[in-house]
Amino acid sequence: MTLVKTQKLCAAEARVTRVEHPCRAHVRLHFALPSFPKSDPGQFVQISAHPNRDDAPRELCWPTDEMPRPMMADWSAEDAFLRRPFSLADRRELADGRSELTVISRAIGRGTRWLDSLQIGDALNISGPLGRGFRLPAQSDTCILVGGGVGIPPLIYLARQLCEARFSDVVVILGAMSRDLLPVVLTAEPACNGAARECVLLADGVSYPSIVATNDGTLGIRGLVTDALREHVSHAGILADHTHVFACGPERMLHAVAEQTRALGLHCQLCIERMMGCGMGTCLSCVTAVNDASRPAGWRWGLACGEGPVFDRDRLKWD
Amino acid sequence: MNCATPNATDPRLATDLCGVRLRTPILTASGTCGYGPEYADVLDYRRLGGFTTKSVTLRERPGNNPERIVEVRAGMLNAIGLANVGMDRFMVEKLPFIRTMPTAVFVNVAGHSMDDYVRVAETLDGADGLAGIELNVSCPNVSDGLMFGTDARLLRELVAAVRGVTRRGKLIVKLTPNVTDICDLARAAIDGGADALSMINTYVGMAIDTQNWKPMLANVTGGLSGPAIRPLALYLIHRVYRGVAREAKIPIIGMGGIQSTRDAIEFFLVGASAVAVGTALFIDPTLPVKIADGLCEYLESKNLQSVSELIGQVKLPA
Repeated sequence: MTLVKTQKLCAAEARVTRVEHPCRAHVRLHFALPSFPKSDPGQFVQISAHPNRDDAPRELCWPTDEMPRPMMADWSAEDAFLRRPFSLADRRELADGRSELTVISRAIGRGTRWLDSLQIGDALNISGPLGRGFRLPAQSDTCILVGGGVGIPPLIYLARQLCEARFSDVVVILGAMSRDLLPVVLTAEPACNGAARECVLLADGVSYPSIVATNDGTLGIRGLVTDALREHVSHAGILADHTHVFACGPERMLHAVAEQTRALGLHCQLCIERMMGCGMGTCLSCVTAVNDASRPAGWRWGLACGEGPVFDRDRLKWD
Repeated sequence: MNCATPNATDPRLATDLCGVRLRTPILTASGTCGYGPEYADVLDYRRLGGFTTKSVTLRERPGNNPERIVEVRAGMLNAIGLANVGMDRFMVEKLPFIRTMPTAVFVNVAGHSMDDYVRVAETLDGADGLAGIELNVSCPNVSDGLMFGTDARLLRELVAAVRGVTRRGKLIVKLTPNVTDICDLARAAIDGGADALSMINTYVGMAIDTQNWKPMLANVTGGLSGPAIRPLALYLIHRVYRGVAREAKIPIIGMGGIQSTRDAIEFFLVGASAVAVGTALFIDPTLPVKIADGLCEYLESKNLQSVSELIGQVKLPA
C-alpha cells in the first residue's frame, strides 16, 4: 500500500526482485517500486526493517464481542523499532516501468538480520530519497572514488552515474578488513602492487579501473584505502584542481582522506554515517559539527539527513 | 458515513479542546515533527487535529553532543538537549510557515527561569495564527529541565506567571512522569491557570554499551519514548483524570507510545480528550491521519456519534 508520494519523496511498499551475496558478510538487496523520485548517489532511503504492518494502525476489522481476540498487547516488541537508513547502492529503471533500487546490508542487529532474511517477492517499506548526495564535477575532470567497508555502497551508485554520464577518467579504490568482507563481485584478481585495473564489477554493466586494499592482505594490496590513494595520486600525475575525490567509510578513514586531499589540493566530498531517528529533519539526532563562520564559535551542529550525508570536505569540522 | 471511505475530517471526530476546535482529536507531539516544513511533503495538515512544535527557548540552544538517540526494546532513548534556534529566530524563520498551516498549532516553550518562560510566552501570545502554547516543564535532557516540573509550588507559580501573559492563546502544561505523585503536579498546573494538560513526557532512562562500558548517549541519560512507555502513560492519565482533571473540567492530551487507533482508544477511555503521536512519526509521519481514519471506523462499528462518548468511559470493576 502506498503511504505517500510527492515529487520529491516517496514512502511506499517495495518488492524484492533479487538477492545477492557478494561476500560472506553482506547481502545486496534489489527491490522494485512502481516509481521513485529522481535520486542522486549519496542519498539514502529509510527502510522499515520488519514485516509490513501497514494495516496495523487501522485494524480494519474490529472484532465483535463474540470473536476471539489475541491476548497480545503489542506486536512490535521483537521488531526493529525505528527505520534503518541505507545509502542507495544502485538504481535502475526496469523495462516494465518500475524503478529498482539497491542497498547493501551487513547483518549486525535486529533490523539488518531481518533484511538478511528477505527472499525474492518479499515486501519492505521504503521512504526516500533523503538527504543530499554527491555533486558531479565537469565530465572531463578526474574522479577518484574511495570506499571503505560499509561505506562502499554509495560509491557504487556514483560509479553507475559517472558511467552513464560518460566520465572516462575514473578510478575506484575499495577497502575492507579482509577478502570475504568486500561487498562487490570480482571479475579478475586485483593487482597487489597498487595498479588500477578493471577487476571489479561494481554494478550491472559498470566497471572502472579499480584498486583493492585489505587490512590483512588477502586481496589486492595489504593496507588501507588511504595508502592506496596516496600511492595512486603520487604515480598518476594528476591535475589537482581538476581532480575530485569522493569518499565514504568509517570516520577515521574519512578524516585521513580529508587530510590527504587537503594537503594535495584536491577537491573532496565525503559521505558520512550517523545514527538516525527520522531521516527527515525532525528528531535532530544525526548531528555532525560543521564549520559556519557566521556563528560566534565558528561552527554549529548540522544534520546529516538534511545538509548531508554528503558534505564538502571543508564544511566538516574534525576536532 | 460509510466505513469503506474513512475520512479524517468526519464530523464525529471534531473535538473541542479547551475552546479550540480541532478537526480530529489526533495531534502531533512536540519534538517529533519539527516546526512544520519538515513533514509538509508527506503529512496532510488539513487532516490533522493539531500540531505541537519542537521546543522554543529564549536563546538559541545548540543541543547535546552526539550520540543523541539510541534504540531500545520497543522504543528509543533521546537526549537532544532542546536544540532550537531561539525565540528571535523562531519568530522570523519558523513562524511565517506555521501561520500558513491549516491546523491548530501549539508552540512548545521551554526555559531555564521563570523570566525565560514569561518572555517567550508573552512574545508568542502577541503573534497571530497560533492556537496557544504548551509549557515544557518536563525535559529530562537539560540540567534544570525538570526543575519546574517536579516541584508543585514552583510549577504553580510558573504557570500563573505565564498565564498572566497568555491572554489570546490557550495554555497547555506538559507534565513529566518522573515524579512521586503526578496528581500533585497536575493540580498545581490547574491551580496556576492551565487550560489543558498534556501527558506524558519521556521517562528518564539509560543504555550502556557492554563492549566499552560507556553510556550509549553522550548525555549519559535520555528520555524513553515509544510503545515501551504506553502502559505507564495510560496509568498516569487514568490517575490524573480520576483524581484531578475530571472534576476540574480540564482536558488531557494523552501521549506515550501511541502507534495505532487501538492505542488511541485506550487513551480516550481512561480520560484523554485528545491524543498526540510522537516517536511513531519518525517511522510513519502519516500515522495521525491513519489513526483518525481508523477511529472513524471504530465509532461506526460501536455506533457512537462522537469521540466524547469514549472519554473516561473505561469500565472499572465495581
